[in-house]
Amino acid sequence: MNNYKKWIPWLLLVVILLVYPLVFSSVYTNLFIRFAIFAVFAASLNLLLSFTGLLSFGHAMFFGIGAYATALSLDHIDQLGLFTSIGIGAAAGALLALIVSPILVRVKDTAFALLTLALGQLLFVACIKLRRITYGEDGVGGFPIPSLDIPGGISIDMVQPANFYYFAVAVCGLGLWLMWYTTRTPFGSVMAGIRDNADRVNYLGFNIPLSKTIMFLISGFFAGMAGAVYALFQNLVSPDGVFHVMNSFTAIMMVFVGGIGTFIGPIVGAGVMTGLEEMAVRNTDKIFLINGLLLITVVMFFRSGFVGLYNLAKDKWFSK
Amino acid sequence: MGILETKGLCHHFDGMEVLTQVNLNIRDGERHAIIGPNGAGKTTLFNVITGTYTAKEGRVFFKGLDVTKTKPFKLTRMGLGRSFQITSTFQKQTAYENIRLAALSKQKIRYDLLRRTDTLKRVAEETDEILHQINLYDERHELASNLSYGKQRSLEMGMAIGTNPDLLMFDEPTAGMSKEETHAAVQLILKLTEGKSMVIVEHDMDVVFTLADRVTVLHHGQILATDKPDVIKSDERVKSAYLGDTEV
Amino acid sequence: MSPTTFILISQGIHGISYGMLLFLVASGLSMIFGLMDILNLSHAYLFMLAAYFCYSIATMTNFWVALIVAPVIIAIIGIIMERYLIKKIHPFGHIPEMVLTVGIGMVLLEVVKSIWGTQSLMVGAPDLLKGFVPIGFLKYPNYRLFVIGFTVVVLVAMIQLFNKTRFGTIVRAATTNAGMVGALGINVPLIFTLFFGFGTWLAGLAGVVVAPLLSVFPGLADQIGLDAFVVVVLGGLGSLWGAFVAAILIGLLNAYGIQFIPTVAPLITFGLMVIVLSLKPTGLFGERQ
Repeated sequence: MNNYKKWIPWLLLVVILLVYPLVFSSVYTNLFIRFAIFAVFAASLNLLLSFTGLLSFGHAMFFGIGAYATALSLDHIDQLGLFTSIGIGAAAGALLALIVSPILVRVKDTAFALLTLALGQLLFVACIKLRRITYGEDGVGGFPIPSLDIPGGISIDMVQPANFYYFAVAVCGLGLWLMWYTTRTPFGSVMAGIRDNADRVNYLGFNIPLSKTIMFLISGFFAGMAGAVYALFQNLVSPDGVFHVMNSFTAIMMVFVGGIGTFIGPIVGAGVMTGLEEMAVRNTDKIFLINGLLLITVVMFFRSGFVGLYNLAKDKWFSK
Repeated sequence: MGILETKGLCHHFDGMEVLTQVNLNIRDGERHAIIGPNGAGKTTLFNVITGTYTAKEGRVFFKGLDVTKTKPFKLTRMGLGRSFQITSTFQKQTAYENIRLAALSKQKIRYDLLRRTDTLKRVAEETDEILHQINLYDERHELASNLSYGKQRSLEMGMAIGTNPDLLMFDEPTAGMSKEETHAAVQLILKLTEGKSMVIVEHDMDVVFTLADRVTVLHHGQILATDKPDVIKSDERVKSAYLGDTEV
Repeated sequence: MSPTTFILISQGIHGISYGMLLFLVASGLSMIFGLMDILNLSHAYLFMLAAYFCYSIATMTNFWVALIVAPVIIAIIGIIMERYLIKKIHPFGHIPEMVLTVGIGMVLLEVVKSIWGTQSLMVGAPDLLKGFVPIGFLKYPNYRLFVIGFTVVVLVAMIQLFNKTRFGTIVRAATTNAGMVGALGINVPLIFTLFFGFGTWLAGLAGVVVAPLLSVFPGLADQIGLDAFVVVVLGGLGSLWGAFVAAILIGLLNAYGIQFIPTVAPLITFGLMVIVLSLKPTGLFGERQ
């Protein structure tokens, strides 16, 4: 009986997600897709920030390489499947993580933040300069969006907004669940140990550089996956759109606003920030001012973010 | 050959000689204490053996294998466990989670991404067993940071034995403890190291003479004597080493 | 003089003057990190704000007034930032602190855009420094030589300040043992706040000096700021000497890079940083992370 009750909220969530595009216009379904993509991206950053204790200032590089890998492979390869194209993006993110990990495993704290910032900038500049591959500042656009082919001859058109909505939300949901699962595995326990006391973990017999490399791979994989879905969603990827340092900051903001140290935090943060951005863009062009003030307020007064506020409110009004 | 041996071990920091030609021999199954006045190089010796520092000269052998340059995580896998002088637990995690990580290591579950940690039965059983041994079972869901100092030290020891090492190395396990706490800690150490080899660096002479089968006295980075506790007690050189330095 | 020698010399001076400018920006950042353990990511935005102040003040009065006044205003802003924001977050570690200063940077950027707009603004070199110096066949702008000379003067003054004055002695002592210095009756938090102000004052100085050299626009912080960060990290966080060497190195590499390998030149800065850090994570002259 109890077990059955546990599933009710999840069932409710699925129903809401299914009904959502029927109730709201495509503006809002697109907004939701954006939220889902950034929830995955912010959660992948949070795997490093909250579960490993490392702040990456260049996480956009994984998102960007994933977006570009998907866009370019669709641009160049005919008849590329939908899942294959996303797989390529995610794999590109993981591959980049593998390449940079020998440098990153050796540093932590401020050095890690600055090194990731430099690597991110390096990729941003390289993306602009390597015109022959990336088409420079114009970016890659107008590539074909594959349909979802289900065995039995059914083909679902992904250009149709509602169809893409279901697909994107399902993929992002799966990504989030997989990341959550990672934090619950023995490997997740080891990472929590490294975050809290790396020296001790070393003396418990765990290979820290190797463990961190695996964590970077996982984080890069999901950031790349978010980038891949973004590429399919926008049908245009540009250096400013995906590789820009603001993209890295956006993910960091989402984690902090939502609540650092929790898994749900970045998802809540992505929701708050996407909604806020939408409102801000309509009323003002001073998005940096709003974001900046929000960051300052959160860090100064609500260091555990919205999740922390929620817990506080719950303790105050609903306990006993 | 003993379980742990050092041959001609030398170490210095910025030209300051800290260890000079240290030849240590720990026999299989014995409890061995390293004592000496402040600044004798005890902690440095401890850190060189456990791989925190790499010896500038000389060799360290563990179970007959040269481990001079072996990294800490490999030493642990070979069967060496250590505790830290300054409590080194996972403060933001529960006592249970602290010990569980050691149990995972013992089971060689290191990069498992497929199963959930809380569904692993054997890990849970072993974690509980260790928690019972260190008398922390009732407080297993407390955060490490909320435990009393004495209990944090017990947790520290629990993690050291959690990987089931053959040789345990304790760095001043009773430092900062009250008399009662010290007594309890000594009893715990005796229980935990049953049938294992142990090296303990210690200041408290009562603790040393209760625990140790043999004692090594370190003075100015050199071994002054290694012998049974009563022989050491009456050794004139040891007395003058301690009396020469004002600190005991 | 052959054309190649001509290019080598003129780009060399270009590189050194740019390097000197980078050093001015980086020195404050590096010292604040080295002595106070604060990584102020809004430093480059304070530098940009100073360049805008220079534009406004120089338009109303002249460059020399701007050189005195603008850095002081920046230092006051820095002091307020440290006193009311950063100091309260410092105990929670580097991560919230870095995020906080990123937030401050964003606010400063929007403030600059609101007040001065997004177009490029030109600040003329002061009359005294207009014109060119002939070096062989080459005519070199006076102002660039002034930047080099000015930075050298600042560097020497800083070394004197640290080694010869009471303020320098107290700051050095307070960073190694705050408790002891506090026990001697010195207000250590005040010293730190003032020192933070001094570091931002240097950013202000750099901002004023840069205005006649480049145009003033909202991308200035990102453009120069990122290079300055690379300088600080490359030289080793906290090492003033390291920052100086790295600044000159980056300045020269940039100048020659643009001349000889223009397509990959923008990659040099970050590429070099990545290479150095992968070989020595603490930077060229740094001892800690």
